[in-house]
Amino acid sequence: MLDRELKKGSAELLILSLVEDRPRHGYDIGQLIELRSRGVLRFNVASLYPLLYRLEKRGWIRGRWVEKAGQRRRRYYRLTPIGKRVLAAQRDGWQEFVGAINRITGIAHA
Amino acid sequence: MPDFKEEIRKRVATLHLSPTREAEIVEELSQHLEEQCEEAISRGVSEEEANRAALADLADCEILARELKRFRNKHKPLVIGNERGMWLSDLVQDLRYGLRMIAKTPAVSAIAIIALALGIGANTAIFSVVNTVLLRPLPFNQPDQLVMVWENATHLGFPKDTPSPANFLDWRQQNHVFSAMAALAPQSFNLTGVGEPERLDGRRVSANLFDLLGVRPLLGRTFLEEEDKPGTKVVLLSEGLWRRRFGADPSVVGRGLALNGQSYTVVGVLPRTAQLPNQENTRDQLWVPMAFPNEEATQRGNHFLDVMARLEPGISLKQAQADMDTVMAALAREYPDFNARRGAVVTPLHEQAVGAIRPALLILLGAVAFVLLIACANVANLLLARAAARQKEIALRLALGASRSRMIRQFLTESVLLALLGGSVGLIFSLGGLSILKRFVPPDISLASGIAIDAKVLLFTLAVSLLTGLVFGLAPAFHAVHSNLNETLKESGRDAAAGARGNRLRNILIVAEVAVSFILLIGAGLLINSFMHLRNLNPGFRVDHLLTVKVELSETKYPDTEHRAAFFNELTRKVQNLPGVESVAVGNNLPFTYNGDSMSIAVEGIPDPPPDQWPDVVYRVIGPSYFKTMGIPFVAGRDFTEQDNAQDQLVVIVTEKTARHYWSGQSPIGKRLKPGSTSSQSPWRVVVGVVKDVRQNDFVAEPKMQMYMPYAQARSPANALLVRTKVDPLSLAIPVRNQIWEIDKDQPVSDVQTMEEIVTNAVARQRFSMLLLGVFGGLALVLAAVGIYGVMSYSVAQRTREIGIRMALGAQRSDVLKMTVGQGLRLVLTGVAIGLAAAFVLTRVMATLLFGVSPTDPLTFVSISIVLIGVAALASYIPALRATRVDPMFALRYE
Repeated sequence: MLDRELKKGSAELLILSLVEDRPRHGYDIGQLIELRSRGVLRFNVASLYPLLYRLEKRGWIRGRWVEKAGQRRRRYYRLTPIGKRVLAAQRDGWQEFVGAINRITGIAHA
Repeated sequence: MPDFKEEIRKRVATLHLSPTREAEIVEELSQHLEEQCEEAISRGVSEEEANRAALADLADCEILARELKRFRNKHKPLVIGNERGMWLSDLVQDLRYGLRMIAKTPAVSAIAIIALALGIGANTAIFSVVNTVLLRPLPFNQPDQLVMVWENATHLGFPKDTPSPANFLDWRQQNHVFSAMAALAPQSFNLTGVGEPERLDGRRVSANLFDLLGVRPLLGRTFLEEEDKPGTKVVLLSEGLWRRRFGADPSVVGRGLALNGQSYTVVGVLPRTAQLPNQENTRDQLWVPMAFPNEEATQRGNHFLDVMARLEPGISLKQAQADMDTVMAALAREYPDFNARRGAVVTPLHEQAVGAIRPALLILLGAVAFVLLIACANVANLLLARAAARQKEIALRLALGASRSRMIRQFLTESVLLALLGGSVGLIFSLGGLSILKRFVPPDISLASGIAIDAKVLLFTLAVSLLTGLVFGLAPAFHAVHSNLNETLKESGRDAAAGARGNRLRNILIVAEVAVSFILLIGAGLLINSFMHLRNLNPGFRVDHLLTVKVELSETKYPDTEHRAAFFNELTRKVQNLPGVESVAVGNNLPFTYNGDSMSIAVEGIPDPPPDQWPDVVYRVIGPSYFKTMGIPFVAGRDFTEQDNAQDQLVVIVTEKTARHYWSGQSPIGKRLKPGSTSSQSPWRVVVGVVKDVRQNDFVAEPKMQMYMPYAQARSPANALLVRTKVDPLSLAIPVRNQIWEIDKDQPVSDVQTMEEIVTNAVARQRFSMLLLGVFGGLALVLAAVGIYGVMSYSVAQRTREIGIRMALGAQRSDVLKMTVGQGLRLVLTGVAIGLAAAFVLTRVMATLLFGVSPTDPLTFVSISIVLIGVAALASYIPALRATRVDPMFALRYE
């Protein structure tokens, strides 16, 4: 389990990545994080939704209620154009950060 | 499965989110938890276990609450389309909505509109006076360059003394700051030969006066420089005279006119705007050149001129004053006998024209602003009550996603609409008010005739209306939109607005309203009080049953004292015989109609004082029976008789004050005095009588030293007839005039008026301020009473149930009455206390308007407090009485 601060810092990047190619609802996002991290990362309701709302408020994602036949309506979040730029920037930043950590820790092991 | 919704709701309730937002969050989160449970159960977890896990997720509610806090109240609804494009359609919608709301509660709207109309109307009316009198520039060329120049004789009690001809001529020569300087002096003329004989007010003026002012003649020309010398008989007519007596005949230029028995040639006609902004000259009908005769041009001790000047471009008032100080200092060294301690004062012409009325007008402007504030408070209260009734509707609209700012805009649109309606009605009020007001404008404000509602006034009214709408609309708007929606939606309709916050706001408004009314009423009370003092002032003579007529004898027809005496002797005899006449007398310059006629005197046996300390003695020239007719009591000695004529010993009657000054402790009878100094050529006059002091030139100021001389022995001719009557004095106006025309059919008769009218005119300015402030005070009182009544009625209606319960539990009617009236009185007393403190400070600015009353006159303060508290008590008593009629059963069932 990662430290809470680290989780929080990278959580934005996770969510933005997940809604990049298609809109997803909150439960879906939560599930995907848990699934793809193979259970290492898990967001509960109390932490996931405030994060979604915060991103929405910044204009990076936008939520819309969508009704599908035979289902109850759900709120789907999609990436906005601003969100796309933010995601690209954060991805670069993250890769730089991870690369740096790798280099340092790699040298230390050598 | 547990009700997740309820669980979530519990956790976000403390955040006070907007209801829509809250509902969305609850829906989204509960869905998530439900799906989580379902999924767990499908994996084979027991239902209890799944539920517990889901709820555990929620357990970290501290985070949820903290994270969601940022979203509180900030949620914006989805905007479809271009936001800017919606602005106009929003406005149209708001306007429509506002109109619908106004029409929906016609009674409330009507009361609000009338209250606003009264407030805005009063403001418009007073502003149009201020605009005309204080703000509008004088109708002359570059009026800010125009000044008046006075002699400063403060040591004699004349800080602005009229300059003497010799000083004026020297000023004109020696100054370096004026591009032109002109002198004026009043003169009246008897016009004969054109229909009925008439006495006309006019003026001798320097030939350059009209060039200096920049007045162009309507016809002909103004005076030429070479006409400004003795012997030129040319005259300029006023537009009014030209229309009235000459039927606007354009060929009047070049025509001959008989004035004072001499022939003058008309050289031009001047437009109305030539009327000079100075006292008593608004009636100027003609002008002749100043043309100082030689003996006049050298007079330095004879002060009778008004002097106007135009500043050179770029010269400031200060520089002009400095230059005139230098000039006058030199003249004081050169002619110490006349000019010692005399200075020169330069004042803007505009100040001269309006200075006297300015404080009164500014105070009135302040007063109407107060009236408007009270009206605003009233309307705000009305709207608060109405908003309260609409609380449910507002809550519902907010819940359905209307934004608060939009709701506020809608409220403000409505209140501004109300204010504009009020402003329009107010404009109509002000038109009516102005026509009444004009009648009371003191005659010495010469610009008052031009009072009208012009574009500037309309703009002012519009601005005031808009501002008013915002002022009284903001409080109810914010109040309505910022109450707790859930509470509101849950509460029953009737009590919806009964929130403590609403009541507090209403109470504050009432307290403010009472405080402001109190200040206004104190102002009005003080002025009414001073006016009473003024009217009760004993002028020293009997004002009632006294008819006065101006009879200005022509100098060519009656060239000397004998001719004039003969005319007046015959006239008094004839008038004395008319039925209803008690006594008749003649005199010159009736009290309060003329501000001059004073001289310095030498008294036998008393050394002449140094020239700069020579006191002035006001004198009047009168005929026999003057004191009897005027009702001035004798202290000692005798009245003049027909024997006191040119052949006999010269005599004089002095007033008590003069007697005390010169012969303190002795009898003045038989003592001698003469005009000028002991060494002057004038013969001595014997004091034959002492009379009581009379207010002669100024109704308000303490009487100065005075003396009377018989007209048969004086150079200045008598010009007024006084008739003491047993009947209504005006009923004798026509018989008296006929008697004059029986003696001389060409003799002009003018200014037929009663002494009461003269005294009324003398206090016109005071009456103007008093009446207006009185009206505004009354208006404030009515508005405040209506406001208190409204709030108390509302509060009683709100508390119907509570009162019902109290009565059901055994409260007596008197208890309920005490409780409700007590509630109203508490507000009123708070308001009065605040008003008292404020008035104590504010009334000081009125000090100059007051007479015989201190700005903190305890009697006024106490009586106004009693009146206001009484009215307020009544205004809360009536609703209270209604409260006691509540049937407990009905009140309880009413829920």
